[in-house]
Amino acid sequence: MPNHTQGLEIRSVVKRFGDLRLFDDLSVAIAPGEFFIILGPSGCGKTTLLRLIAGLETVDGGEIRLNGRPIHDLPAGDRGVAMVFQDFALYPHMTVERNLAFGLRNMQVPATEIDTRIKATAGALAIDGLLARKPATLSGGQKQRVALARALVKKPDLLLLDEPLSSLDPGLRLHTRRELAQLSRSLNATFVMVTHDQVEAMTLASRIMVMHEHRIQQVGTPLEIFTRPANLFVARFVGATPMNVLDGTIAKARNGKADFDLSGHKVHTAITHTSLPAGEGWQVGLRAEHVAITAPSATAIPATVDYVERLGEQSWIHVRLADGREIVANETGISPHQPGDAVGLTLDGARAHLFDAEGRGYHAEPA
Amino acid sequence: MTAVALPGVRGRQLWAWVRIAFCAVMLALVLAPLLWTVFLSFRTNIDLLRQAPLDLHGPYTLDNYAELLRNQTLFRWFFNSLVVSTATVAGVLTLSSLAGYAFGRLEFPGRNWLYLIVLAGLAIPDQSVILTRHQIFSDLHWHNTYRALILPGLSAPLGVFLMTEAFRAIPRAQDDAARLDRANSLATFWHVLLPQTVPALASLGIYTFLLSWNDYWWPLISATRPAMYTLTEGMAAAQSNYVEVLGKGVLMAEAVVAGLPVLIVYILFQKHIVSAVTGMVKL
Repeated sequence: MPNHTQGLEIRSVVKRFGDLRLFDDLSVAIAPGEFFIILGPSGCGKTTLLRLIAGLETVDGGEIRLNGRPIHDLPAGDRGVAMVFQDFALYPHMTVERNLAFGLRNMQVPATEIDTRIKATAGALAIDGLLARKPATLSGGQKQRVALARALVKKPDLLLLDEPLSSLDPGLRLHTRRELAQLSRSLNATFVMVTHDQVEAMTLASRIMVMHEHRIQQVGTPLEIFTRPANLFVARFVGATPMNVLDGTIAKARNGKADFDLSGHKVHTAITHTSLPAGEGWQVGLRAEHVAITAPSATAIPATVDYVERLGEQSWIHVRLADGREIVANETGISPHQPGDAVGLTLDGARAHLFDAEGRGYHAEPA
Repeated sequence: MTAVALPGVRGRQLWAWVRIAFCAVMLALVLAPLLWTVFLSFRTNIDLLRQAPLDLHGPYTLDNYAELLRNQTLFRWFFNSLVVSTATVAGVLTLSSLAGYAFGRLEFPGRNWLYLIVLAGLAIPDQSVILTRHQIFSDLHWHNTYRALILPGLSAPLGVFLMTEAFRAIPRAQDDAARLDRANSLATFWHVLLPQTVPALASLGIYTFLLSWNDYWWPLISATRPAMYTLTEGMAAAQSNYVEVLGKGVLMAEAVVAGLPVLIVYILFQKHIVSAVTGMVKL
């Protein structure tokens, strides 16, 4: 857990735009050395939060502390924070070297140290050959490195990244993702990154904060977010395909666990029944990989194949239940199923999640 | 547009030839008097006073240019024009870029109204204010000074408009990056934003220079002493009595010299002039 003197601490932050209360009492603490990712769909407020930390927007209440020092009233340049912008925002009329030097000069760093730092940073990011070039002559990947170098050369206490991979093409994105991961490990710096891409979040983050409609939905490790989603939004947003979510009723099984009734078929969950609040409107959540497709049988739930996506290493099979509801199943390899096939479904109840009428998630105790 | 109506390769070729022919005619119309001026400037006055057609084989002479060097008035006017045009360009670029930065980049109360008032200046013709201006300058005893020739040219709503649009076109993230690089407003303006408006500055500078260099009306009103004449005014004054005093050949040589700076500006900034003119057309 983050301790309360080091790292970044956001305490009860309020942000208003006119009459709109964008953030109302938002709090989160980020430990030094973390690669913290703010994940959410566009318009969820994640970029605004990043800009509040950077000092590009002002808070209307609460405080932001960096290594114990309140920074929310400081100008952006005095916060010890550097930022990599979505479209890089390199200064187009300056060479790469001057792009890196500009901030250091404004910080009154002595010229000899500017030289040393630029050389070191450029070497670390393999852009030493580009120092005399202008940004317009660089490729997307090179611009990305220069943008990173411009931020890191200032030796910030905190590095903010605003969708840094979104303007790269897919092949390069994968490559840069790996580099970012290595960079954060080798620098031992604190990174806060904003993204709407759950794959980036799952692969890079030490912890993820999921945001939706300007509220924090869940903060946790990628594994926690994936295996114990706090609510339906997180369950559907995180994962290669959205989690299957189906309505039904729950009942107490003989072993004390909850049984979920899916139109006559029992799903035996591993969730303790007494831990669940009373009430109606339950939904069961099952990831595609916990739905197995078998031959039709008396014990399996009958379904019809609707549509098959074969990706090569795995396949997504969209099937329809007798009552018309849709479920996605996952199979490794190339699935032999064809649209129209009558199949049976076996659900791995032990991996199932339950969601109450408010959408709160309940999970089996970790083994 | 006609190209669409004429299908096929042959139609396109025909259209290309029509366009070339059209351009050639336009070029000839523009070029002919200029070439004629240059041609006449190398002929003797005796030759030019004869009614007979001119013989292309000569005689040619440099006497007219020698006469310009002997009679220094032209260079005085040339110098005046240069001072006025250069100062006007410097002033317009400074004022327009500062105003453009404020209108295009800063938030302040009344900004939109102020901008609207500046733009309204585009709709006011010079002719409607020139009498009042003359009266004011006369009361201030400013006539026959450089100040009087330069100041009116500094009011450039078009420049403010161009620069405002140029500053608006720069992504906001540039300002954000500069703020995180600990640059204050002035440093952001000077080091980050202004250099990115160089194309607009170049267009505006050239446009202002040509306007100022070729201006005739205001100098005619304001500069009444021959020592304060600009080139345009001085040459017009010389034309009225050329036959008696200077001779046609000298007048032609004057015209050639007067046109040279404009020609040089054109050659040096060809690319920017094209974008400046197309920019104006888009307005």
